[in-house]
Amino acid sequence: MSGLTFRLKAPASERLDISSLSPAKLAKLSGHEIASIKVGMSKHALSVGDAFDISGTAGDTLTIEGPGDVSGAALDFAGAGLDSGTLLIVGHVGSQAARKMTGGTLEIRGNAGNSLASGMSGGFIHVSGSAGDNIGGVLPGDRFGMSGGTIVIEGNIGARAGDKMRRGTIIIRGKTGEGSGTRMMGGTIWAEGGFGPLPGLMMRRGTLIGSKVDRLLPTFVDCGNHDLVIVQILSRHLKATLGDLAPKPMPLFVQKIAGDMATIGKGEILLPAA
Amino acid sequence: MSQTIPGQTIPGQTIPTMIINGITVDDTFAEAFGMSGTGIIITADTMKWARIAAVTATGFGTSVIGCGAECGIDRELSTDETPDGRPGVRVLMFGFSPDALIPQVKNRIGQCVLTSPGSACYAGLEAPMKIGLGKAPRFFGDGFQTAKKLGDSRYWRVPVMDGEFVIEETTSVTTDAVGGGNLLIVGTDRAGVLETTEAAVDAIAKINDVITPFPGGIVRSGSKVGTKYKGMFASTNDAYCPTLRGATKSELAAGTLTVLEIVIDGLTSKVVADAMRVGLKAVTGIGANKGVTRVTAGNYGGKLGQHHYHLKDLI
Repeated sequence: MSGLTFRLKAPASERLDISSLSPAKLAKLSGHEIASIKVGMSKHALSVGDAFDISGTAGDTLTIEGPGDVSGAALDFAGAGLDSGTLLIVGHVGSQAARKMTGGTLEIRGNAGNSLASGMSGGFIHVSGSAGDNIGGVLPGDRFGMSGGTIVIEGNIGARAGDKMRRGTIIIRGKTGEGSGTRMMGGTIWAEGGFGPLPGLMMRRGTLIGSKVDRLLPTFVDCGNHDLVIVQILSRHLKATLGDLAPKPMPLFVQKIAGDMATIGKGEILLPAA
Repeated sequence: MSQTIPGQTIPGQTIPTMIINGITVDDTFAEAFGMSGTGIIITADTMKWARIAAVTATGFGTSVIGCGAECGIDRELSTDETPDGRPGVRVLMFGFSPDALIPQVKNRIGQCVLTSPGSACYAGLEAPMKIGLGKAPRFFGDGFQTAKKLGDSRYWRVPVMDGEFVIEETTSVTTDAVGGGNLLIVGTDRAGVLETTEAAVDAIAKINDVITPFPGGIVRSGSKVGTKYKGMFASTNDAYCPTLRGATKSELAAGTLTVLEIVIDGLTSKVVADAMRVGLKAVTGIGANKGVTRVTAGNYGGKLGQHHYHLKDLI
């Protein structure tokens, strides 16, 4: 693996917008140009050269090493607009990582803040820690949330994951917060640790798969236990594309809970059949 | 053991031939045509029901002229080879053009696979050009159908009385397909020639990407282009009808009692040639003791079909 490595010199004195740091963008720039990129968000914004020690040569992979403690959460917009190559963040990131990402790989060896992958339409994200609210969701001004790509989060996530999500897959090894799949229009959220309260508020289409649900909305209806072919297809697809990162297959029979019947009710929550 | 006998006379023509295990192989060629072909994977809870759905969907698919498409089972698929991990069968359908295949796929899948217990249906060919597979059958769901997009594939889930019928939205079509590769097996013993031809069909079945669309892979009513009757395009190949040997310009030697044909369609020209090769090898391997006297091939003088498969090149 070759490429540039940015090592944060010290805990950042201001929040940093690192959306311009992608392998493809940096490959077109000279060392001087890279060092002069403004990443700070204050009036006297820090440049890359101010904030990071730079080593290596431009390639398909860009590594950004944060301090590894909570101050790393000052790195916002990591991988925003990423379309190719691999961006590796060693440490935590702040909000809106992978904003409108269209391709490539974002690897976060730490936690991610709120609104990870909002508006994402392609690519792959792996978070070794946990993530905040509104994962794969919608932001003000956007029409839809996530519309493609795959996210794997090893820890837990916050509230309202997949708000207005249209396509794509979010896999959470842990548990979700409240209201996962709110206003969801398609795609899949698979929470191996289960869903927090009230998932699928005003959900139109899409699939929530998990081990359990804390509390269901009254507008979700039990459709019984079924051996669904689509669950087998989904499991095999994830195994083929993610390998060891894929979730454990569901049992043959799952309980299908349809909703939100307050809308068109074509969404579903799938749980292991009792 | 083989020997070439230049200039041996077959009634109606003088062509060099080769004799292998007592069977005369004409130095002639099969003339085949460019076609459009598609592949479809059909799965079910058991191989029995996957096959039932596949056999039903490929029925009445012998000749593109009368049936709209030439269809058949390519091979059985293990659980590792199907998208849903169930037993499956890959079928191939061939037509004059991609547009001509669209209604054939729609009707055959809609009437024969959607209706079959436990079935599901997926793309069975990867190529740049796409045609609808589940695009039309999904509407059977009457608004209750839902879709799931995984990677580049969109799967439709249509509620039916035994659960859900899952069908991929599109499959691919290739215009590099070839239809009409053929072998004619000539002999003096009807049962023996049929048994030998069956062995050739079994050998061809082991080649991937090809089908033999006629009943059991065998045609007994080979046709010629044209007829004396208006409104028909083809008629019996009188030159190869044993009962007309003295009454028409026959291509058959004295004592010939039967001629059976194997027609081969494939997704590429190479696989058609491979299929003809193994079929010819199966026939000549059995030899003349079953009553087979000669193997030849059908052509139209080489002016109609783009693909010519010379038997001497396949030995």
